[in-house]
Amino acid sequence: MSAEAVAARPWRRKLVPYFQAGPLTLVLALFLIFPIVTIVIVSFFDYNSVQIIPAFILDNYRDVLFSKVTWQTYLNTFGYVIVVWAITLFIGFWIAYFLVFHIRTNTIRIACFLLTTIPFWTSNIIRMISWIPLLGRNGLVNALLLHAGVTGHPLEFLLYSPFSVVVAFVHLNTFFMIVPISNTMARIDKSLIEAARDANASGWQILTNVVIPLSKTGIAIGSIFIFTVVMGDFATVNVMSGGQSASVGLMMRNEMSELQYPAAAANAVVLLVIMLLIVSAIVRLVDIRKEL
Amino acid sequence: MKIDHGLPGKGKAYARRAGSVSRRGLLKGGAAIAGAAIGSGAISGFPTIWAQNIKDVTLRQFGTGTSDLNEIATKVKEDLGFTLQLGVLDTDAVMQRAATQPDSYDIADIEYFSTKKVYPTGVMQPIEVKKIKLFDKIVPIFITGKLTPESKIAQGTAPHTVEFVEGKDSKKFAKAPTEWATLVPTIYNADTLGIRPDLVGRPIKNWKDLVDPAFKGKAAILNIPGIGIMDAAMVCESLGEIKYGDKGNMTKEEIDKTLGKLTEFKKAGQFRAFWKDFTESVNLMASGEVVIQSMWSPAVAAVRSKGIPCIYQPLEEGYRAWGSGLGLAAHLNGLQLDAAYEYLNWYLSGWVGGFLNRQGYYSAMLDTAKQNMSADEWGFWMEGKPAQGDILSPQGKVMEKAGAVRDGGSFYERMGHVVCWNSTMDEDRYMVQKWNEFIAA
Amino acid sequence: MAFRDERRPFSFYLLATGFALYVLFLYGPTITITVLSFQGPDGGLTFPMNGTSTHWFANLFERQAVGDFEGSIRRSLILGLMVMVLTVTISIAAGLAYRKGFRGETPLFYLSMASLIIPSILVSLGIGLMFQLIGLHPTWYGSALGAQLTWTLPFGLLIMFAVFNRFNPSYEEAGRDLGATAWQNLRHVVLPIIAPSVFGVALFGFTLSYDEFPRTLMTGGTFNTLPLEIMAMTTSVTTPVLYALGTVTTGISLTVIIVCLGTAFVIQRRRAARGSDAGRGV
Repeated sequence: MSAEAVAARPWRRKLVPYFQAGPLTLVLALFLIFPIVTIVIVSFFDYNSVQIIPAFILDNYRDVLFSKVTWQTYLNTFGYVIVVWAITLFIGFWIAYFLVFHIRTNTIRIACFLLTTIPFWTSNIIRMISWIPLLGRNGLVNALLLHAGVTGHPLEFLLYSPFSVVVAFVHLNTFFMIVPISNTMARIDKSLIEAARDANASGWQILTNVVIPLSKTGIAIGSIFIFTVVMGDFATVNVMSGGQSASVGLMMRNEMSELQYPAAAANAVVLLVIMLLIVSAIVRLVDIRKEL
Repeated sequence: MKIDHGLPGKGKAYARRAGSVSRRGLLKGGAAIAGAAIGSGAISGFPTIWAQNIKDVTLRQFGTGTSDLNEIATKVKEDLGFTLQLGVLDTDAVMQRAATQPDSYDIADIEYFSTKKVYPTGVMQPIEVKKIKLFDKIVPIFITGKLTPESKIAQGTAPHTVEFVEGKDSKKFAKAPTEWATLVPTIYNADTLGIRPDLVGRPIKNWKDLVDPAFKGKAAILNIPGIGIMDAAMVCESLGEIKYGDKGNMTKEEIDKTLGKLTEFKKAGQFRAFWKDFTESVNLMASGEVVIQSMWSPAVAAVRSKGIPCIYQPLEEGYRAWGSGLGLAAHLNGLQLDAAYEYLNWYLSGWVGGFLNRQGYYSAMLDTAKQNMSADEWGFWMEGKPAQGDILSPQGKVMEKAGAVRDGGSFYERMGHVVCWNSTMDEDRYMVQKWNEFIAA
Repeated sequence: MAFRDERRPFSFYLLATGFALYVLFLYGPTITITVLSFQGPDGGLTFPMNGTSTHWFANLFERQAVGDFEGSIRRSLILGLMVMVLTVTISIAAGLAYRKGFRGETPLFYLSMASLIIPSILVSLGIGLMFQLIGLHPTWYGSALGAQLTWTLPFGLLIMFAVFNRFNPSYEEAGRDLGATAWQNLRHVVLPIIAPSVFGVALFGFTLSYDEFPRTLMTGGTFNTLPLEIMAMTTSVTTPVLYALGTVTTGISLTVIIVCLGTAFVIQRRRAARGSDAGRGV
């Protein structure tokens, strides 16, 4: 190695991380920042039924913010978020607990994880269609229930109802709760639990005083996932409610498909602001990065 | 923006090809040579100049699954030699792409009510009527709006109102036929309600039966604003709740009233679902989730082909109709444009017409379609006669057994009772907003 | 509590039952799809079954009335591989950058997280509009690739954080002491150790891309990826051929997972047999 090269090294070494982080920054700038800036710009544009017209008007925001339907839709979407969050948290927490504390070998644990991922390899759209024959009036579940004598007539609420929307959300997203929670749980020092038990703590006390507080980060990450996925969803709500229920994403999607881009853009900006506010609140509660 | 697609043939001399004559021979409309001369005259100034390199041309067409069928692409390759690439999207997405991504296609297969929105954006170029040889034989619905000279023109975006533009560079729709067409009409149909005769338990006669409390939780309506609003209007009119000045072009007040009424029914739990695409409607009907709903003719056929009874019920108030056609993207020029005209002419030459008619749609060019159908097929699909033998689908599957009669009867009975077309109204922006609110309510 | 005691406590059985029920719930649609893909030739997408056959599996390889399985599968595979390679490279590089620290690391971190939480439909709308305003053509290998990366990269970065936070720097120090250059250290020390996680990132990137549709919706351009094609086909295909496709993909992914697991298992045993190869070849 030449003397020059050695001399150049400290300088070069300082630059290396910038080169390494460069591609990520570039991709995010091109495909995230610019598009969002575009959305903000377009949200002030005018439009008619065929074109978007460059302008600076506030009508789109007025339409969004002063429409009763917007607030109903947000309320409805928040409703889905809360219910889905509660259910996925409950299921996700206990499954993570089971996988971390009850399964003894790593191989079985990985096998269990993979077992829960396989259904996701089938195209989401195909899976969506299959809810009809599964939950429908003449579907598998109703057939089983009728056969078992649980009910005398097919249950209608299983499909095309808020119930079915929640079922599909839970089906799609519980996994996002299981992974971060089990990730943090796995890092809980087992000797802490032993110590708690030696101090005669009951199983419940160990759970509430040791396991839950130490799983906080995982719970927070999982919650952010659920929140963002459900808030932005359009396909699940549309298919599972038979097109009868509304969500913020679906509202945007409908506007987009009718070429009302500025309206969709205004909606998008409102949604974005609300989401960033809520997520930053969660992040304030738990420092995610430190605990990864 | 004009984009050079880098066609291999561009810029090469156009050479005369003997093969072109036999290709032309396919056109049964006659006047082949003269027509071909007109067909390409505008480009080079010389008649019938076709190049070998037309085989290298690729045309990208997109539309809905209704008519963007792979069989058509194969036949194009066989008959014309060039490649037709098909892209399939749903109705809304078709309009979206047509208007916003004009460089992503060469030929747009779109509906007339979408044309009213799409054409004025300047993404398409007008079609020179004199280059379409059989244009004067097209069903008059598309030209004058009247099926027979005595017919009344239906409400809504009737195809003839957006069929012509005033001039080559005009984006204004002309009131009477001109030399410049927006689309070459291809298929159309009269839509009504589909029912499950085994489950409705009573005769269905009117549009208002869709909201009969007897079918609470077992009815469905389609969720494409421009089409759904017309079904909604048919229902409200049939109920006697609303009198429309022109339901194809409602006032804000009429829109509010119509969707207000529909929201009431929705809140009362009348509807099981709102469907957006063909398959959904088939699934809803076949699975018994729904017993009465807005439906499209081939969807009824698809339910029936699964051995499940389903009727495309003619109603007293008449039908809601739709039509689509093929339009040319603004960027098309040179050899590619020649190929596109060649394709449009071929489309009307009969094979596709027969193919579409045999699926329960109607071809815009009936004379040539007839030549591509058996007498029995023509009798069943077009004349409302009982089938002599089994009626087969283009794929060779039995659609109807011998003795069956088409729901609604003959072409003139069905298309003659069209009272409105799918529509893009003047208050379109308001209507779509309100429609979305209705869906969200 | 389970560890140490040999006998399973009651809570184990309770939770095991819960897990089993959850798995059953997860597989509900998969089971429905599998059953219905064996519909008879006249069957539809819903019950009742109309006879049983393997007709639709054969049909899968024939040309459909509309749509193009072959082309869209090819595009989706290529796109998936591109996303996979880029995600792996870019997130490893970024992960390394974060180990050393650099100015602007916090904003970049928050930007990545924002990228993860911003709804797909918004990204799709934004990129679509941006391309439209600039006058560029959206393509599946351009705009759609970028749209998907905004989704896979933050995941990759998070995994890299998790990996490097637990990475013991003494391995590298040992490497440096033995005279390894930075590159050699990366190639022969760091990468072999983080290989399993890299494999995870790769698999993750591919899967996310392969089944992605909200982001591709407005960014795909002329030609459809598989999810978009399937979505388009649902506008006109009423036959169980879609279910047959679902069954086949499930089958293939099962096989892939089993093969990967098997390979990983074999490699692990070999490594165990001759000791870790980290640092070999220096």
